[in-house]
Amino acid sequence: MDSCIENPVSPCAMTGACAVLCGFDGLCVIIHGSSGCYYYPKSLLKVPMFSTYLLESEIIFGTVDRLHEVVKEVSKTGKPIAVLNTCIPALTGEDLRSAFSDENVIFVDAPGFLGSTQAGAKKAYEALNIKVDENRCGVNIDGVSLLDLFWRGNLYEAERILNKMQIPISVRFAKDSYANLQRGASPFTVSVNPSADSGVGKKLGSLLFPDLKNTVIRLSEKFEADAESVLNECHLADEQMFYSSDKFLRKYNAPNAAVFASDAYSDFSKAMLERYFGAEVTTFPRSKSYDLTKIKEVLDSSEFDLVLGSTFEANVSQSSAFFGITPPDRSRVSISARALSGVEGGIYFIESVLNAMIDFKKN
Amino acid sequence: MAGCTLTGALSVSSFIKNAVTVIHAPFGCAHQVFSMLHAMINDSELTLAPQIIVSNLSDRDVIFGGEECLAKALDKAALKNPDLIILVTSCVPETIGDDCQAVVNEHPARQKIIYIPTSGFLGGCAKDGENACLIGLAKLAPHALPAEKTVALVGEKNLETEVEENYAEVKRLLDRLGVTVTTRFCRNSSVDDLKKISSVSCFILRDERCAAAGKFLSEKFDRPVVSEFPRGLAGCIDFLKSVGSACGISQNLIDEAVFDEEKYQALALAKFEKLRDKKIYLGAEPFDGTFEIAREAIKKLGMEESMDGAEIKLPFYLPVGVSGTVKMLNLWKRAIVYG
Repeated sequence: MDSCIENPVSPCAMTGACAVLCGFDGLCVIIHGSSGCYYYPKSLLKVPMFSTYLLESEIIFGTVDRLHEVVKEVSKTGKPIAVLNTCIPALTGEDLRSAFSDENVIFVDAPGFLGSTQAGAKKAYEALNIKVDENRCGVNIDGVSLLDLFWRGNLYEAERILNKMQIPISVRFAKDSYANLQRGASPFTVSVNPSADSGVGKKLGSLLFPDLKNTVIRLSEKFEADAESVLNECHLADEQMFYSSDKFLRKYNAPNAAVFASDAYSDFSKAMLERYFGAEVTTFPRSKSYDLTKIKEVLDSSEFDLVLGSTFEANVSQSSAFFGITPPDRSRVSISARALSGVEGGIYFIESVLNAMIDFKKN
Repeated sequence: MAGCTLTGALSVSSFIKNAVTVIHAPFGCAHQVFSMLHAMINDSELTLAPQIIVSNLSDRDVIFGGEECLAKALDKAALKNPDLIILVTSCVPETIGDDCQAVVNEHPARQKIIYIPTSGFLGGCAKDGENACLIGLAKLAPHALPAEKTVALVGEKNLETEVEENYAEVKRLLDRLGVTVTTRFCRNSSVDDLKKISSVSCFILRDERCAAAGKFLSEKFDRPVVSEFPRGLAGCIDFLKSVGSACGISQNLIDEAVFDEEKYQALALAKFEKLRDKKIYLGAEPFDGTFEIAREAIKKLGMEESMDGAEIKLPFYLPVGVSGTVKMLNLWKRAIVYG
């Protein structure tokens, strides 16, 4: 990462860790830090969490007592606890584990300065110490992140596809009950967004549309499941998407697109836009593109007529059609479960891109 | 639940034209604030894009020191040739012991830099950051004689969704007195605008949240301070009297303004006649002072507060003036008449 950044567009490692931990219902997450460190993930993830709300005096005299006090209070719920450490207590070097002897407490040292949300998520998954149960049947769904705009839709779509193939679902990473997680994961996993993967289990593939057919075939081989109905869906969806994009291309030129997203969504968007529009696509993965001023320079220097990304990109590229696939998306009110993964995700993507481009051309 | 000093400081500094804010912190701290500002700017359809540069302290820098990172961030800010560079800090440089003042003193652009050691949560809460920034900026203004019938608004809550609506309500009342807002300290103002704060007749604070900045301004420039924007309906009358008196407006003109305002309020309340005689249950008070405004409306509309009344949700902010009260009553109407 650069030594200094202007208008950074990505959250910190602690937020990434928090998104993983808060995905497991029944696990109480305590952010060991100030109200500011709590406020942001709380407002972003909109799920219950606790905080030690550290004050200056506690930094001077030690934070162990305060952490102990909060852990003790939260433990009255009878639920397991994850303590998520933040920058300042990580710097002062206290032995925080002495604040809790109970084995029901997980300690996650993911201070913000560690880097990206992925770095934080990795720390959280490591701390969860997830076991694979070789005897557990079914498949895990991976790549579900509360930070993803499409997490709910992706999860529902993955469940629909697996149910249709009559393959049991083991653990959903990271949106499941903590009790189910503790039963151990299945040895096999499919992902709805490989950029948010836990890495648990042997990966059978991604459910993003360009990979979907192969993943479905691998699933059918592994579980002796019927793939036909899902493959038929893929075929029909493919035809529908070609029909709609052909109609667009009879009237307009193929788009020149810029994609600002996670690595997986960047690759997915590129593959989809090339296949259905023959588009020119340049991708700017979030792991390398996080300074809004540099993003603006890129957008100003080329004539992109379609931008996929977050509202940050939308605001600095007013002369392009826009579709939000990266958080935050404040371009519209969106509270329903929208998928980017699976059959419906592929259709939704092409439909949204078409609508964005048609609306832009009309205006 | 309102963030650390950085949120408060940035909610002020980001709304100054051609100023750059440098945050000495890991990038995540800057993102938190930038993301929040971005959301608010999106909601309020503002075109002002905040310019925030973060020194991006990494795990290596917290061990070996971050002063070099800060110097680079200041270099980057200076390259933009802004009118002002506002340097604020998170809790990390405070903890690792970076000497930010020394870095500023040695920097070629030091004349343009104001250093506000906010220190993240170690410096307090968002309110403290907001006041520290307002006070730091007030120090830029030279002493000047007060111009007649002019006021400055101090500490408008730039992160409020309804900040422009509240401004419009205050302006409506000031127009009755013939008083003009010459400085919005600090909302969409240039550095030169900010320096004009010393030439107003009186300072109007948004609310008690910026009382520390109000005290500083009052003492530095020896001017009266009106402590808050008008609360509810009666608050409008008090506001007219306070501002009128602080700006030296004649009693006749103040009385006339109050008379006109009372007529205006009666007309505004007439739209809610459907609420007359209705029973209402207020529930818990979400914000200190909201009950007072709600009960004033209940009384004026001939409603009854009762445990078996329709339960309504009070706004999570103090309704400003008639406009704020009307918006609150609209929510009541929806719940009671159409709920």
